[in-house]
Amino acid sequence: MSISAKYFPDEPTAPKVVTTEFPGSVSVKAQKDLAKVFDARAAYFVADYEKSIGNYLVDVDGNVFLDVYAQIASIPLGYNNPALIEAAKSDKMTRAIVDRPALGNFPGKDSAEIIADVLKVAPKGQDKLWSGLSGADANELAFKATFMWYQAQKRGYTKAFSEEENISVMKNQAPGSPELAILSFERAFHGRLFASGSTTCSKPIHKLDLPSFKWPKAQFPSYKYPLDKHEAENAEEDKRCLAIVENLFQTWSVPIAGLLVEPIQSEGGDNHASQEFLQGLRDISLKHGALFIVDEVQTGVGATGKLWGYEHFDINPLPDIVTFSKKFQSAGYFFHDPEIVPNVAYRQFNTWCGDPARMILAGAIGKEVLKHDLPALTAKVGAYLYSKLEALQAKYPKYIQDLRGKDRGTFIAWSLEDGAARNKFLSDMKTVGVNIGGCAEESVRLRPTLVFEEKHADILVAAIEKVLSGY
Amino acid sequence: MLRLRTAQSFRQNAASNLKIRLNSIRLASVAAQYYPNEPTKPELVTETIPGPKSQQLNEELGRKFDNRATYFVADYVNSLGNYISDADGNKLLDVYCQISSIALGYNNPALIKAAKSDEMTYALIDRPALACFPSTDYKEILDEGILAAAPPGMDRVWTSLSGSDANETAYKAAFMYQHAKLRGSMDFTGDELTSVMDNKAPGASQMSILSFEKGFHGRLFGSLSTTRSKAIHKLDIPAFPWPQAPFPKLKYPLEEFEEENHLEEKRCLEEFEAIIEKDHHTPPHGIAAIIVEPVQAEGGDNHATSFFFQGLRDITLKHDILMIVDEVQTGVGASGKLWAHEHWNLTTPPDMVTFSKKFQAAGFYYSNPDLQPKQAYRQFNTWCGDPSKAIIAKTIYKEIVKHDLVNKTAEVGDYLFQNLKQLAAKYPLNFRNLRGENFGTFIAWDCNDVGARNETLLKCRAKGVNIGGCGDIAIRLRPTLTFEKKHADILVQVLEDVAKEV
Repeated sequence: MSISAKYFPDEPTAPKVVTTEFPGSVSVKAQKDLAKVFDARAAYFVADYEKSIGNYLVDVDGNVFLDVYAQIASIPLGYNNPALIEAAKSDKMTRAIVDRPALGNFPGKDSAEIIADVLKVAPKGQDKLWSGLSGADANELAFKATFMWYQAQKRGYTKAFSEEENISVMKNQAPGSPELAILSFERAFHGRLFASGSTTCSKPIHKLDLPSFKWPKAQFPSYKYPLDKHEAENAEEDKRCLAIVENLFQTWSVPIAGLLVEPIQSEGGDNHASQEFLQGLRDISLKHGALFIVDEVQTGVGATGKLWGYEHFDINPLPDIVTFSKKFQSAGYFFHDPEIVPNVAYRQFNTWCGDPARMILAGAIGKEVLKHDLPALTAKVGAYLYSKLEALQAKYPKYIQDLRGKDRGTFIAWSLEDGAARNKFLSDMKTVGVNIGGCAEESVRLRPTLVFEEKHADILVAAIEKVLSGY
Repeated sequence: MLRLRTAQSFRQNAASNLKIRLNSIRLASVAAQYYPNEPTKPELVTETIPGPKSQQLNEELGRKFDNRATYFVADYVNSLGNYISDADGNKLLDVYCQISSIALGYNNPALIKAAKSDEMTYALIDRPALACFPSTDYKEILDEGILAAAPPGMDRVWTSLSGSDANETAYKAAFMYQHAKLRGSMDFTGDELTSVMDNKAPGASQMSILSFEKGFHGRLFGSLSTTRSKAIHKLDIPAFPWPQAPFPKLKYPLEEFEEENHLEEKRCLEEFEAIIEKDHHTPPHGIAAIIVEPVQAEGGDNHATSFFFQGLRDITLKHDILMIVDEVQTGVGASGKLWAHEHWNLTTPPDMVTFSKKFQAAGFYYSNPDLQPKQAYRQFNTWCGDPSKAIIAKTIYKEIVKHDLVNKTAEVGDYLFQNLKQLAAKYPLNFRNLRGENFGTFIAWDCNDVGARNETLLKCRAKGVNIGGCGDIAIRLRPTLTFEKKHADILVQVLEDVAKEV
């Protein structure tokens, strides 16, 4: 029996479309109502989560969508997964919700166990974690760890702060608040708070009118597809981009303390990178004494066919920091070097230091992922889906360009000719019962759950063909 | 005539009945209703806290998680009401409450019910990308909870995940608002669209958020740039070069220093306005917003009077600067008002009020629709808050209303303050600058020095009271909203016992 059938015996066998407009009238009304008190202009539709099940998301009008967007890539095991219901109804969860601890000051008796459960699915070799609340939070906590580490390397890990540092920092001035940078890439997305926003470079609308740290952006490779036909050109592209990174390290006006990269740039258009490029980054970061931070917020927890996206590559030595959120429901960063813990207490600190309720859920998700080897399942389903899409691409080359994500599980994307064509496609997919998302200006990305199987892939491919055959 | 009299007496009867009913609600111990088995006093079973079990568990935790700030490892299953249990079985009266973030006490039955509800289960396991796929019930959850509790003059909310996050999203709203005003009906320019991708002006803002010396507003990069409490919070972290203004240093007791304190507040207001006029008045370098706490909590429980805050409001209005009030620690009842800034009776409400901690949910309130950016996806992220926390906030608020907990906290606070005043008279060196009169249980005082403060905190713990400090030499009380006179009596007794020794 398939895993989705085990979890969801009552999962619909096909989408059901009951409205002609999207969002439907009930959704429009609910959305309007919400908008009086809460910015709801980005709403696709208002969802009925109680009725949603497995890979199907139900809206308030009664449309039943096959969901391959999954709350912007953040639903791991399908809607209303029974294993997660069990975790949510457990006494451990109740306690975590009603007695939320200031984890740094008053950890609970079960804190070590809860954290150990999260660490069971950590990338190989990463045996410690610090917890946060969202992807942006996770990345910024990682930046803080990076800056503290970087200064400790210069100062000496155990050496006390100078009087000058203690005084200048209260004026937000160097040397106490040093001028240091995190290097990220054009088209990268790492969150939308002030420091994470300074490393994000996906779209102007994410950044306009906000103060920003003057941190450098290198170029991320733009490969030609299909990859096997453009090997030499793409290798040149890697070299070109690595030279830019090296040059920035040598010339940037302030020291670069950390190098931050997504294994696949997701919001920025599902831009992939090669083994050579990622190892090249690791080498440059080592050479210049900077930490190598891998942002696995969107790529992590199985969707690429490995637990963590960077595990497709042989990166040596291991990344220093790996950030997570989204599908894991909990957020934070993994690491292994004990000196990435700052030298004294209360430096990496805040009231809650994470959320045990979310960590319990992460533990439960991790347990299911391992028990059913869901990355392997996703790899298999992804290969099946990719080959079907390849066939569709041959038939509709104008609408499926630069198909990417081969051997990357269901983490698949392609481009259309422009933003208008892409947006029309996304919206037309609703008429055939599929909720699907875009990335960058002209790309479509697939971000289904880890219990998305061949039968769902068949429905998705048929729906795509139905839409494209009408163009 | 007869009819009229009857109607009158009926009204009088109804009024006195209501009064009796209200009184009986007020008199009944809410803590006893919620927690029939709450300990009647601290229970100590180990010689030191942390005890051996606590130490062993903490050592285990430390292999994977930075735990050097641990006071003790808690046993939340056996904690109840105002008493926190540790792993060794010690039960301490808790007046620190997870750094001021437990509203109703441990294992509150109403919260347990909410946590076990189907509504909560869906919120936990089907966590929506709220702004893209809001749930059918989010409006209702907000209406009945977070928005029902909104401060006067506020009717909208943007939800987030923590106090830092709440403040930073408020800053984002402030920057976008100020630039939208400068831009008028114009669209973004090509220059803005290009420069912002290099993190450069004009697309990236050169405006700032002004905060106050000793303020604490969180520890992410934007919020940390406004935090001015302690060097250890900020060292080695890059910061925006944003301005700070002085916060009044009041002398206590307030009634003896009225004139001096008034002059001090005037001085601070003048300096504040001078900073605005000197460096930060002209675009593109203006101050987008100021952020201020009603009581600077982490920074030492520094109070100011309504005169000062009204002054800030007047000056910000005059210079078209937004006023953000950070109610992360002061909000949700502890000050004897639901929101501490209600004590000020401002002529115009603040522009934004941020919340977190005791509310469990986080975010900012506002009313001006222009604080919502003109375009969608600008104030945006994957989760845009957390419905499971909003459900808890709703439950907390309903309990607060049902049991009149804000007024009760005001009463208990007055009782506690009077008792502490007597202690201060007896042990003046141990209780200096006692503050928080008429401010619920949001009470603090200074010790003689940092050594005496830390010794006091430790000795209180050894005698069964879990208590926290703030600033360099202060002790702050941050009990729950179900902290009552019986708890206050125990606290005062322990404080006196400790004062005799320190």
